[in-house]
This record gives sequence, structure tokens and C-alpha cells, in this order.
Amino acid sequence: MTKASNLSARKRNERIAAYVFVIPAVVLLVAFLVVPMIYTVYYSVFQYQIMRPDDITFIGLKNYVKLFGDSDFWQALKNTVYFTVIVVPCQCALALALALLVSKKFRGVAIFRTMYFSPQLTSMVVISILWTVLYNSNPNTGLINSLLTNLGFDSINFLSNEKTAMNSIIFMSAWQGAGYQMMIFLAGLQGIPGEQYEAASVDGATKFQQFLYVTIPGLQSTIKYVIMITMIQAMKLFTQPYVMTQGGPKNSTKTLVYYIYTQGFQNGNFGYACAVAAVFFVIVVTMSLAMKRVTSATD
Amino acid sequence: MKKLIALVLALAMALSLVACGSSSSTTTTSDTTTDSSAAAATDSDEVIYLTIWSPTDEAAVEEWWVEKLAEWNEANPNIQVSREAIDRSDSYAYDNKIATAVTSNDLPDIFYVDGPQVSYYAANGVTVPLDDYFTAEDLEDFVDSAVTQNTYDGQLYAIGATESSVAFFYNKDYLTECGVDVDDLDSRTIDNPITWSEFLEIAEKCTTDSYVGTHIIMDHGEGLPYALEPLYVSEGVDYISDDGTTAEGYVNSAEAVTTTAWLANIIANGYANIDPIDDEFLNGACATMLGGSWDIATLEESADFEWGVTYYPVSDDTGTAVSPCGDWAAAISKNCENVDAAGEFLQWLMNTENVATYAAAIAKPATRSSAYDEEAMADYAEGARALIVEQLENTASPRPRSPSYANFSSDYAEAMTNIFSDAASTGTVDEDYIQSELDRVSANFTENYETYYAE
Repeated sequence: MTKASNLSARKRNERIAAYVFVIPAVVLLVAFLVVPMIYTVYYSVFQYQIMRPDDITFIGLKNYVKLFGDSDFWQALKNTVYFTVIVVPCQCALALALALLVSKKFRGVAIFRTMYFSPQLTSMVVISILWTVLYNSNPNTGLINSLLTNLGFDSINFLSNEKTAMNSIIFMSAWQGAGYQMMIFLAGLQGIPGEQYEAASVDGATKFQQFLYVTIPGLQSTIKYVIMITMIQAMKLFTQPYVMTQGGPKNSTKTLVYYIYTQGFQNGNFGYACAVAAVFFVIVVTMSLAMKRVTSATD
Repeated sequence: MKKLIALVLALAMALSLVACGSSSSTTTTSDTTTDSSAAAATDSDEVIYLTIWSPTDEAAVEEWWVEKLAEWNEANPNIQVSREAIDRSDSYAYDNKIATAVTSNDLPDIFYVDGPQVSYYAANGVTVPLDDYFTAEDLEDFVDSAVTQNTYDGQLYAIGATESSVAFFYNKDYLTECGVDVDDLDSRTIDNPITWSEFLEIAEKCTTDSYVGTHIIMDHGEGLPYALEPLYVSEGVDYISDDGTTAEGYVNSAEAVTTTAWLANIIANGYANIDPIDDEFLNGACATMLGGSWDIATLEESADFEWGVTYYPVSDDTGTAVSPCGDWAAAISKNCENVDAAGEFLQWLMNTENVATYAAAIAKPATRSSAYDEEAMADYAEGARALIVEQLENTASPRPRSPSYANFSSDYAEAMTNIFSDAASTGTVDEDYIQSELDRVSANFTENYETYYAE
């Protein structure tokens, strides 16, 4: 057997091995992602009361027509975009700041890393309940309002006023989520060679200039990744409004995923919920592609 | 060699996935073996296995279930019953579990359902009628409100052991400090309950920096329409028409707007918290509350102040006494393959002794009149519990029986949250806004009813 044919046989075997390795992941993806997605689109053209799975009626695109005239849908979309636009930069900036802080070597740094990461280890439901108590409008029971009134300010209806409810959720979400992104940034920071900082220092760069011209370029791919995953997570906001505000007051915290849930399960309009979910999928994919294009353009 | 190892590992992974997928069939086989051995052991016909779903509850209730099912299973080797406790969480989590089970055709044989949801499940064919197992004579022993709530389209679809009610609770120590005549409250009768204006006057007098005057259930779920409905009925108009087909002219009527505005006024003036903490009354943070019959046991056990309870307040305009009622009840699902066995089990589950002991364990009033003669229900002879039973027998008003009630419940809760939020933010009551929110509730009800249930 020649050397060339040995090489080709090896390549073929490697290819087969690669396919075999990929099969389990593909099977899971198809079963839990592709099939549900196909079903979602399929049911979106039916009138389907959730209690009557055996009695569904084909109605064409009526659910989609209804959706575009549904003010609650547009409000939910607006809230989702608002949450994403605010929380993504805030959370990423906070995460980067924390990562820079804990990337220094000093006594007890591990304790700070653990503290900042710990909200990630707690269930979002538990955290939402905890913050609901912290945000309570009564100064006798809500810790934050107790602090405000003791400092001479008026108490604030954080979660029961439409002007403050979403911002309160944003603040709490950024606090909870920043720890995870911090760890990713920390890994990115450790990948920047120390020599680059030394060279910049020799050239007379200040700490801020080092951050701008060494750290940021060195973290470019990490920043893109963090922004992308934070954006996708933010678009899927559900737990916080479900536990803390039930989408209210006045729909101010109703997000698209929460709207899909209420339409599908509380109101029983399963076909309509599927139509909203299909449109939501298109929106998330479009935004992700747009974000990818924007970040690629900066390369 | 490395390639071989890689291939073997990959195959092992793939096989492990297949094994995961087939684990349920292995379990089924093992279950079948158990079934066969159980059948052989009893030397009789096939053994029927029934499963019940009901909400997770306090330890006393969980123990009751274990004890009672053991008793049944021992006496009935051919019908073996097991229970799965489902976390109720808050608002509509349990109902979502049922909805998911309906879509996957995975309902248990028997499941517990909250009173006003009975019509929803019945109209959609999720539950089956129980008339063959509970005759009119049997039902005579049950309070009217429980039978009415569980009846849809002339047929009984669920049967419950317990009822509930809401009454006006007050902190005697604190009210005395505020100059409220507590003896007067103590002396009220069902024919002479406090009025809305008296309720408001007490709330106003007792609101200070460290206390709010009263407490309204703010669960953003079924608790709101449940606890507040008597106010609307007392003012003259219920949420939905008697035949359950329309909310137009009912929930958005002039009377409903007046009632809602009265409630919003309580929030606007700061007499009640818009987001109260749990057990606000027990924790001494509010002076009075429209509290449930289930609060009595907690207060008896833990309150460190003197408290009293009197009848649900009535409208000044009509003076009509009305009180909430309804509780969870057992229904047989469409997926039950042995309806007769399930019916037989329910007959036993709802006998007088079981109803009495269950009601005692869960600290709620019983649905059967005869249960009050049992020793377990001795506490209901006098005091706060007797008042609750008196309300149930005389002024209880079941919630609307409509297949669209599930929709109505969440829409109404959302509208009230919005209205209260508006009142709390502005410190005023905007009747136009109230009207627009209630109109929205009515329109959503009409759309749902017309889409799925109108003939």
C-alpha cells in the first residue's frame, strides 16, 4: 500500500469518526430544537385552544394578521427591545469593570471573585423573590425604601409604578448577570500578554491609555461574544417579570416571551402563541445576524 | 488504535443516548411485573391503578393523604390509588401543569381543580360528569355553593371536601388604640354586617406611619377576583352574566366602576399596600384585612395580639350581604380508563368521615353538613370558624360558571393591578381609566367566548 492511499484511508476514517461524534448532538438538536420549531410554525396557522388538542382548525395567516394589529404584542416587543438595549451595555460594562478589578493580584481577590459570581449560582426565581422584598414600597418592609426614607427621601413604588418597574428589573438583572460575563472577561484578560502592557508603559502610556489601546483591542473577540450572548439572553427575559410583576403594571414589564406564555397557557390561545413565538424567533435571528454583521465590520 | 478507541467511545455515547430513550419502557416492564404480581397476590381480577394530582400542601394534609390512601389501598386490593403532589406555587402555575398534560394526553385519572375552573375543563371535555356516582340525595348533604360551583351545563363535574370564605379580620388591640369601637364590631350579626363606609372609616382611622388600615389580597392571580367579587354582587352586578356567556354590561357596568373606584380609593389614600408582604396582618403591619378562612388557624397559632373577625362588608346602597366561597375539588379526567373505579374511589373519599378529617387537616370548612357532627370538626361550633360556616350557609355566592372564566380571571387580575398601580402613583382615582380597563376585560372575554364556545 502506498503512502498516499494510507493518508486517504486515514482521512476517510477520520471523517467517519467525526460524523459519529456529531450524531448525538445532531439528534438532540433535531429533537429539542428543530422539531419544536417546525411544530411552532405549523400550529401558528391553526385556531388551537390549548384544552382541545384534537379539535384544531386551519385558519391560514389569520393569527399573523391579528398579531400585527395587537397593541399588547407591540408593547411587549417595545419592552423587550428596551430591556435589551439598556441591559446589554450596562451589564457588559459592569462585568468588564468587575473583571478588571478582580484581575489584579492582591490578598483576598478570590473572595471578591466568588462574591461577584455568586448571584449566578442562585436560581433566578429565588433572586427575583428576594428583590421583590427589597423593592417593597412600604418603608417598614422594603429595605431599599427604608434606606431612602431614613435618608430623607420619599419612598418609591419600584415595581408597582409603570415608570420604574422595568428599570428596577433591569438593575436587578444586570447585578445578577454580570458575574458570569465577568468570568469570561477575566479569561480574556488573562490571554493578553503582559509584555504589551510593559511596552505601552515604556512608551509612556497612562493606565487609561493602556486600557484603551491594549486591553480593549486584546478583548475584542471576547467583547463580541459577551455582547452576543447577553443580547440573546436579554431578548428571552421571562422569569423576572413572571415572578416580580406579572407583566404589569400597565404592561410596562410584559416581554415577548412572557406574552407568549400568557397567550398560550393562561388564555389558552395556543395557535396564536405559536404565531407570536415564530415572529419572535425571526426577530431574534435577525437581531443576532445584524449584531454579527456590525461587530464583523469592526474587524 | 486511537481511531478504534474513538469509534468505540462514539458508539458508546450513541448507545447511551438510545438507552436513555428507552429507559421508560424498562420502567414500564418493571411496572407490568409489579402489576402482575399484585394481581396474582390478590387472586382476583385485574388490578386497576389510579393516580391523583392535587396541590402540595402543609405537612398535616400530606400526612392525611398518606394515611387515607394506605387505608383505601389495603381495603381495596383491586383498585390501587397513588397521589402525586403538584407544586401549586402562586397564581396559575398548577393550571399550567394541567394544560401541559392535556396537550400531551398525559392527565392523571383524577385531578384537583379550583372551583371556578370546573366549567372551563368541563366545557373543553377535559373532565367527565360525576352524576352517576353522586346522586341528588347524596348532594343534599353538601352546601349549595359547593354543588353549584362544581356544576356545569346541569351536570356535576367535580366534588370537593372543603369550602372557603373571606371575612373582615381586625386587630383588637390596635383598633382600640385608634379609638374604634371594637365591642360594636364583635356584636355584629349576619343581618347587621359592617358597611363599606364603616370599613373605610376604620381603615382611615388606623392608617399611620407604621400601620396601614387594611389589607387586600394582591396575588395578581385568582385571589383578586375571588376575594373581591362579593363587593360587586353586593353593589348589584356580578362580573359575568348568570348563564356565563357575556361580561359586557356586567364587569364594565356603572355599578362595577363604582365598586372598583371605591377599592382604588383605598389604595390612593394609602389605607392599603399595593404590594403587601406575606402575612401582613399577622405581622402587625396592618390593622384589618379581608382575610380568608384559612387565616384563622395561622392567627390562632401565631398572633401575639387580640384579634376578631366579623362578616364581609356590604354595600351602603343595597345592604345585600354576600361572601366568597369555593375551593379545590376532585374531577375525573378524560384520560381515565376506569371511570367507574375512579367514581367508586371518589364516593369513598367524600364520605362524611373523610371530609371531616380532611377539612380539619387543611383547616378549612367542610362541604358536608354532616361533617360538622364529627369530632374532628368540633372547633366549628363557635367563634371565628362558626362565623365562616354561617356565611357559607347564608351568603355564599359561587364565582361565575363560564368556560371563559380562566381568561376572565387573569384579565381582571391584570386590570385591577393596573388600576391600583395608577391610584398608588397618582394618589387619585380616575374613573375613566377604570372604565377603559374594565371595558378591555369585557372585550377580551367576549372574544374568547365567541372564538371557542359560542354556538
